[in-house]
Amino acid sequence: MDLGRLVPLVTMRPGQRGRIVILDVGRGKARRLMEMGLLPGETVDVVSNSIGPVVVRVRGIILALGRNVASRIWVEVM
Amino acid sequence: MGEVLVAIAGSPNVGKSTLFNRITGGNVHVANWPGVTLQRAEGHIEHHGIKLRVVDLPGTYSLSAQDLGEKVARDFIVGEKPDVLVIVVDSTSLEKSLYLAIMTLELYTRVVIALNMIDAAEKRGIHIDVRGLEAKLGVPVIPVSALKGIGIGVLLDRILDIARSKIRKEPLRVDYDGLETYIHRIEKILRDEGTLKRYPARWAAIRLLEGDEVLLNELREEDPELAERVKYLREKARIDLGEDLERLAISSRYSLIDAVVRSTVTRVKLAAPSLSERLDKVMLHPVLGPLASTLIILVTFFLIFAVNTGFPLNLLFDHLGYEELAGLVEEYSLSGILGTFFDWVSSSMVDWLTSMGYSGWAVGLLSDGIMGSVGTLASFTPLLLMAYVFLGAMQDSGLFPRAAVAFDNLFKKFGLSGRAFFPAALGMGCSVAAVVSTRAMDDDRERMVTAMTSPLIPCQARLLVLLALASAAFSNPLEQSALTISVYLLSFMLYLVTSKLLNKFIFRVDYAPDLMMELPPYHRPSLRVVWWYARSNTEHFLRKAGLLIVGLGVATWFLLNFGPSGYLSDGNIADSFAASIGELLVPLTSLIGLPDWKYALAFEVGFVAKEGLLITFSAITGISDPVEALRAMDLTPLRAVSMALAMNYYVPCLATVAALTTELRVGKYVFLTVLLEMVLALLLAGVAYWAGYLLGLA
Repeated sequence: MDLGRLVPLVTMRPGQRGRIVILDVGRGKARRLMEMGLLPGETVDVVSNSIGPVVVRVRGIILALGRNVASRIWVEVM
Repeated sequence: MGEVLVAIAGSPNVGKSTLFNRITGGNVHVANWPGVTLQRAEGHIEHHGIKLRVVDLPGTYSLSAQDLGEKVARDFIVGEKPDVLVIVVDSTSLEKSLYLAIMTLELYTRVVIALNMIDAAEKRGIHIDVRGLEAKLGVPVIPVSALKGIGIGVLLDRILDIARSKIRKEPLRVDYDGLETYIHRIEKILRDEGTLKRYPARWAAIRLLEGDEVLLNELREEDPELAERVKYLREKARIDLGEDLERLAISSRYSLIDAVVRSTVTRVKLAAPSLSERLDKVMLHPVLGPLASTLIILVTFFLIFAVNTGFPLNLLFDHLGYEELAGLVEEYSLSGILGTFFDWVSSSMVDWLTSMGYSGWAVGLLSDGIMGSVGTLASFTPLLLMAYVFLGAMQDSGLFPRAAVAFDNLFKKFGLSGRAFFPAALGMGCSVAAVVSTRAMDDDRERMVTAMTSPLIPCQARLLVLLALASAAFSNPLEQSALTISVYLLSFMLYLVTSKLLNKFIFRVDYAPDLMMELPPYHRPSLRVVWWYARSNTEHFLRKAGLLIVGLGVATWFLLNFGPSGYLSDGNIADSFAASIGELLVPLTSLIGLPDWKYALAFEVGFVAKEGLLITFSAITGISDPVEALRAMDLTPLRAVSMALAMNYYVPCLATVAALTTELRVGKYVFLTVLLEMVLALLLAGVAYWAGYLLGLA
């Protein structure tokens, strides 16, 4: 995998799709995210992203993620 | 067959509470889980002549024991060993909601899976092979719709089948791939040494590898040396596999879910862009979102206020020149009707008791002391109930989480996340509800801070006092509304600003916690669910605070009607114990321009419940209409402003202090909350009064 192609989730535009690669958010939060279905290898669709939390669809559910967390989730854009 | 213990587990937003409510028919008792302030609902029913005790476990995404809810759910399953565990999953998103089911099936086998929202799944062209799912998971799967009441009878039948069955099943096996060798080794150690016997050995082994600290501590207590060996193995596995073990374990469970879903779920048509998506275009918009959320809250509370107190309709009609209509709105508001009713009951009691030949103070105690407090409680109840109905509807519809997203950006500047919206909104109903709601916060510091600051938001009881003050002191409806609205705006500002100050100076952090929250699809709120939520919360409150309020009401009556010389048959309150107690506080109330023991006493009584302020004025003046009573207290507009500010902030009411004590569990923080409010009250009311005084407004 070419790590140079990874972007933080927070930089993605609404309508873009990507694959989660790295959750660099600390253990407790990573566990919570993974248990909610957002784990490396999953496909995410960005629903909305402007000034507030980034809203994504993953595994058929919609998650709102604070911008700080979203800037530490690394995604391969598809 | 004795009583069957049934527990219901499920992730948030899968309709667990709706199913619980449907099964129990709303015949539910709400209390707290032992030792923690998490709400525990329990219901009793009978099915085919057999008694069932049904317990609603906290909604959790997993059983990791990472938070309180997860720990409570896990301890209940392992400790109480329910005869049957119902796991609720959402048919429209099995990819996600099966996670808890898989994790639970690894731990426990007396399980039936309720495939909820089956009607919605069918409507969206999602077909589920139920038999196939049963074969894959090894437990009965029953399609149900909790909302529509479909499949409940079948579910109950299967619950009884499982309760009767003696067959012992093996827990579900997930293939953990690379982890398996380590699982076997730890499993063997646990079996050989006979430790952690409460749990299936394989399950415990996996959890220990995943880094379950709660379980590791349990092991450490049983055998410290063994715990070290397990820790060593975990570290070795991590190095050998070069991977985060937790991620491997969670991925393995999701791989199984994917395989199960692939072989049992078929989608016959693609759903058109749903209403949810279109609504979210507005609700998640950076500008429209906060506007829409604010508007919805305003309209909601406009409705609650109007039905309960007539405000602001009465002021509007008054302003437009329809004084009679305004009067009617007030008279036929809920608090108006109940007030009239209890006045009538009270005076009838006086006549009746006197005719029975009872003496002066007994009549007073029964008709005034006891009946008066019951009347207060009764006039307060519909207010609370209604606030809960509206709040329940907003929660159930999926609007609440969107509002949290909308406000996240603003709240971040004060060191809070959008989640802080929930206690603020609930606080407009009742501060106790607001404080209790903070336990749902992920971030511990945010939970503490919002519990401490949410009582600043005016509750419905304070709204009543505020409206009475405004009506008594100002004749112009515009001025009346201005006072009321200013206090609300100021309170929301203080909620944010004091949160920021607490973050900075007490908890010493300057970052805002991040939102990580599921936004469930919108749906029309279910009347059953909303009603059940409102009723059980109100009942819970009444049970906790009811006796207290009546008790203190009687105590106040005693203080007002007895003095050093005994019963004050002439009703001269100035000779009462209450007057002497009030005198003690006069130095403080003088600071805010109210140098009178009557006001001081009202504040003391208001601590029990804020509407007690009005009751005191009525008791002192002998006028039952609180507005008239206040007018008889020579309340100037400036004094009304000072009083309004002081009343709102001077101390959280007794029930709120009780809630704070159980939620914060650190005396220091409870004390700090009370101190903060007192300082705010003195400061704001003092500044307002003396500034007005200097400007010649007195």
